[in-house]
Amino acid sequence: MNRLMVLTGKETSALFSSPIAYAVMAVFLLLLGYSFSITLFVSKNATLVHVFFQAAMLLVLIVPIITMRQFSEERRSGTLELLLTGPAHEIEVVLAKWLACMAVITLMTGLTFGYAIVLAIYGDPDWGPVYSGYAGLLLLGGALVSIGLALSALTTNQVVAAVVSLGVFGLLWGIDGLAAFATGRTENWILGLSLLGRFTPFATGALYLSDLGFFLVVTLLGMFLCVRALARR
Amino acid sequence: MRPLVEVRSLSKHYGSRVAVDRVSFEVEPGEVLGLLGPNGSGKSTILRMLTGYLAPASGTALINGFDIVSDPRSARGCVGYVPEDVPLYQHMRVDELLRFMGRMRGLEGKALALALDAARERLALDEVRRMPVGKLSRGYRQRVAIALALLHGPRLVVLDEPTNGLDPRQIIELRHLVQCLATQCSVLVTSHVLGEIERMAHRVAILMDGRLLKIHSLRPGAADRQRWLRLQIHAPASTGLSSLLTGVPGVVAVEPDGSSATLSRWRVQVADIQAGQYIVAALSGAGLGVGEMTEAAADLEHLFLRLTSASNASPMALHS
Repeated sequence: MNRLMVLTGKETSALFSSPIAYAVMAVFLLLLGYSFSITLFVSKNATLVHVFFQAAMLLVLIVPIITMRQFSEERRSGTLELLLTGPAHEIEVVLAKWLACMAVITLMTGLTFGYAIVLAIYGDPDWGPVYSGYAGLLLLGGALVSIGLALSALTTNQVVAAVVSLGVFGLLWGIDGLAAFATGRTENWILGLSLLGRFTPFATGALYLSDLGFFLVVTLLGMFLCVRALARR
Repeated sequence: MRPLVEVRSLSKHYGSRVAVDRVSFEVEPGEVLGLLGPNGSGKSTILRMLTGYLAPASGTALINGFDIVSDPRSARGCVGYVPEDVPLYQHMRVDELLRFMGRMRGLEGKALALALDAARERLALDEVRRMPVGKLSRGYRQRVAIALALLHGPRLVVLDEPTNGLDPRQIIELRHLVQCLATQCSVLVTSHVLGEIERMAHRVAILMDGRLLKIHSLRPGAADRQRWLRLQIHAPASTGLSSLLTGVPGVVAVEPDGSSATLSRWRVQVADIQAGQYIVAALSGAGLGVGEMTEAAADLEHLFLRLTSASNASPMALHS
């Protein structure tokens, strides 16, 4: 546990010492702030539903930038050898990187809670969908980080890791479009894989255990694949 | 005394290519063992298996009694490893990196502070302790990497091509450090520079195409150490002269080393340096003058060339 904390501290410090984390957070907050203000002035409704959907879409675009260098750079520079020939286990390294990336995402989404405070000052928002929306964003972020890390562990090229992650996330986000071409059980399977489909209930204030389980399973599966990818050397 | 490292028939394949082929050797406590071989001979792969980065395809090794296959974490705990090209986190400051690695090795509080002080003093890192690693010269980066490897007081220090990219002064300093380390632990060092291995190691394992060709002792007076004499004789080379030299007591092998109309040069392997007197006596008895006779210093070079040029060398582990 102590080693995991040491590793997580090092990974978090590495992320926050690079300009990428700040650039990503700035763009995320700027775009969401703009969208929140415009929608609020136009609709005059005390709700964050549209903010959650836009935040989720931005996570799909932004997470590859956060995860792309996590393992590909360690492989390219050889520091992975330094870590894994010390006492660190692959699982500890993967968990530490996941926690560090989640620290960025949690901070980033946490800062948008300011919008909820604005709504509370000037209106009377329904807090249930607000909490579930944030829970959904963190679950979605966790799953995306996990897949992004696994893809980063497969290559020494950061750009390849980012582009492939973006492709996979995009496919999983909009895979429900494919469901229109399928019927019956296949249609349900395809819809079940859709990140958008799984996220929508959270954003609108409906919590289902199946959606929670889906994000947890995808997160664990990504971590497992990441550990396997690291062991393949 | 039980060897610190026992490598038993270690093999590694990359697809259909055999990178390491049933290699066996031992490293005694306090010994510097050099792995010598051309690029691609399997030196780094052997080190990566011993340090737990790569899993062997077959065979195993015991480090301080811990099996690298069944108990890799305990085995790794006994090893300090400096990989080739010295990979370090460029954004971290020297002290930050040392503290991180020390804590990863389970050091905390006073033990960590003592280990950091000792490492900085030993590797003369005080003046760069607050500098980012990325701004250090190659020589300093090498020192930081060695300091990281020594933090937890390993029983075995593994250095992969440590002289790569160092200037002559840094190479001399590294050589002294390795000799100093050997008073406290064992050292396994690889190089494709023959002269460096010869100066650093007590024994050298010669590798080619993943196979161990021979383990050769470089200790003065070692029983198996081959001694070679260079001879200049005032007579052209001939089979008669070769036979004459071969017949001298103490002469193991004779090889021609160049010839002119009036002078021939020979390399003569002798069991003992005293054989030189018998050679002079035998040549004088035959009415031949000896122009020059010197001990050939680079017997490792000769051995290396002879072994690696034999393309059909069979896998074996000849222990000294």
